[in-house]
Amino acid sequence: MNVLGFDTSTTGTSVCALRADGTASEVAPERAGPDRRPRHAQELLPAIERTRAEAGLEWPDVDAIAVGRGPGTFTGLRIGIATARALAHARAIPLRPVVSLAALAAGLDARLALALTDARRGQVYAALYEHGRERWAPFAATPEDLVERLRTLDAAPVAVGDGSLRCRDLLEEAGVPVAPDQSELHVVRALHICKLASAVPPTSPEAIVPLYLRAPDAKPAR
Amino acid sequence: MILGIETSCDDTCAAAVDLDGRVLSNVVASQGLLHERYGGVVPEIASRRHLEAVDAVVSDALERADASLSAVETVAVTSGPGLIGALLVGLSSAKALAAAQGLPLVAVDHLHGHVTASMLGEAPIEPPYVCLVASGGHTFVARVDERASYATLGRTLDDAAGEAFDKGARLLGLGYPGGPALDRLAREGDPEVFGFPRPLPGDGLDFSFSGLKTSLLYRVRDLGEAAARARADLAASYQAAVVDVLVARALSALEQQRLTSLAVGGGVAANSRLRARLAEACADRGIDLWIPDMALCTDNAAMIAGAARFLDPLPYPDYLALDATARP
Ligand SMILES: [Zn+2]
Repeated sequence: MNVLGFDTSTTGTSVCALRADGTASEVAPERAGPDRRPRHAQELLPAIERTRAEAGLEWPDVDAIAVGRGPGTFTGLRIGIATARALAHARAIPLRPVVSLAALAAGLDARLALALTDARRGQVYAALYEHGRERWAPFAATPEDLVERLRTLDAAPVAVGDGSLRCRDLLEEAGVPVAPDQSELHVVRALHICKLASAVPPTSPEAIVPLYLRAPDAKPAR
Repeated sequence: MILGIETSCDDTCAAAVDLDGRVLSNVVASQGLLHERYGGVVPEIASRRHLEAVDAVVSDALERADASLSAVETVAVTSGPGLIGALLVGLSSAKALAAAQGLPLVAVDHLHGHVTASMLGEAPIEPPYVCLVASGGHTFVARVDERASYATLGRTLDDAAGEAFDKGARLLGLGYPGGPALDRLAREGDPEVFGFPRPLPGDGLDFSFSGLKTSLLYRVRDLGEAAARARADLAASYQAAVVDVLVARALSALEQQRLTSLAVGGGVAANSRLRARLAEACADRGIDLWIPDMALCTDNAAMIAGAARFLDPLPYPDYLALDATARP
C-alpha cells in the first residue's frame, strides 16, 4: 500500500509519502517548537506535492491518505483535515485518520511511551501507549494533574513531544525521563502517521473531524 | 464551469457558475441560529461548523448543477477578508480540490464578490457604476470601472450597517440576528416619532453608525417603561436614520462620480425600507438601480465564482502555498 500522510496538530507541518516497498520521502520540521509560528496553510500542500513527486507517485498510485486528527492546534487540524478530505474526495482515495499523539509515541522505543503536546493555556495534550497500544486515551490536563495521574502507574514511562519540553522539570522530578531538548523524537512525524494508518480502517471522509478535546471559547466575535 | 467556495464568516457556501455568468447552483449552509445565544458570530464555532459542512456543501452544489467534479475548469475561493480560522477551511479545501486535478485556482476578495454580484444572471450590470455594499460585516461605497477591480470611495469607520441593525434590535429586546425582526417591527411604527441623528462623518463618503446606536440606547433608557409601548416607533425611527445615511452616501457617490448606475450588495439589501427609498430616489434622478436576488446579496459563493471570471487564475502549482488574509 502506498500511503500519503500528514500531520498539522503542532506548530510544525509533517508530510510523508510511504511506498509499499518501505521507502519513504518525508518533510518534517527539524525540531519541536511550541513557540514557532504555525504556517500550515503555506507549508502543507507544497510539501504534499514535493514528497509525492520524490516518491514517484502519481495520484492513481496513492492507495490511502492518512491524516493526523489531533489533538492539537484547532486551526492546524482543520487545515490538515480539510485538505485530506478534499484530496480524498477529488481522487476517490480512501482516507484513514490517525491520532497524532499515537504517531508521536510511535517514534519512541520504550514499553511505556507518554506523548505530550503543548495545549497552551497552561495545559498539555497527553496519551499513554504501552507497546504501541493505547493505555490512556488522549486528554488535556495541567502538568500538575498529569503528574498526579502518573503516580498511579506501576512503571515510569518515557515522555516525548513539545508538551514534555514545557514541563520537563515536573516530569523528571516525578521520575519520568524526557528526551533531550534538541531530539527529533519531539516532532510528530508523518512517517509514523503513514505506518499507523495500515491499522486504521478507511473512514468516510465527511465523518473525520479533529479530536478537539475542548469546547470552543464562546466569546462573541463583535 | 467555475466552482466557488466561500467560508469567510458564518455561512458555508459553494456554487457553480458558468463563464457567461449563469448561476448553475448556489448552496448556503447557514449557521445563523447556532450563534444566537452568543449575540454574535463565535469564530471557533463557525470554523468547526465550516469543516463539518464544507464537503457536503460542495457536493450539493455540484449535484444541483448536474455536474461532477471533472466538469470543473477553475476553482474560485474567498481568501479574505474575514475570520481567519473560517477562511482557512474553505481555502484548504479549495486548494486541495484544485491541486488534486491540476486545475487553476482564483483567490477572490470577498468584497469584490459583493461588488460584482450584479454582474451575474440574465441582465448583468455594465460598468461604470457605483456599488453600495451593506451587511453585518461591511459597509462601503465603491466605484467600478473594470470588472476586475473596484475603488473604495468610503467605508464605515466603526460598525457595519447590518451590525447597527442587529445592535439596535438587541436594545429593543429583539433576537439575533435582529435585522429582519427590526424591519418587521418598524413596519408597525412611525419613523417620524423619534428624531435620530443622520451621521455623515468627514468630507468624504465614509459611514459611522456607532453614535446612532448610542442615541438609541439613551432614548430607550430615558423612556424607561414607556419604551416598551414605543418599540415599533423606535424601530421605525432608528431604521429610517440608518437607511437615510446609506441612501445619502450612495446618491452623493453617484453625483460626485457623475455616474447613473447603482448596484447594491450585502445582506442589508433585504431591508424593505432601504429598497423602497433607493427605488424612489433612483427613479427621481433617472438612475438605473440593480439589486440582485437576495441569494446573491447575502454571503454566497456564486458571487465569488462570478468575480473569478474577471481575474487572472493562478495555474497549478502556483497557489499551493497560498494563505488567507483576515484584513482587507
Ligand atoms: Zn459579506
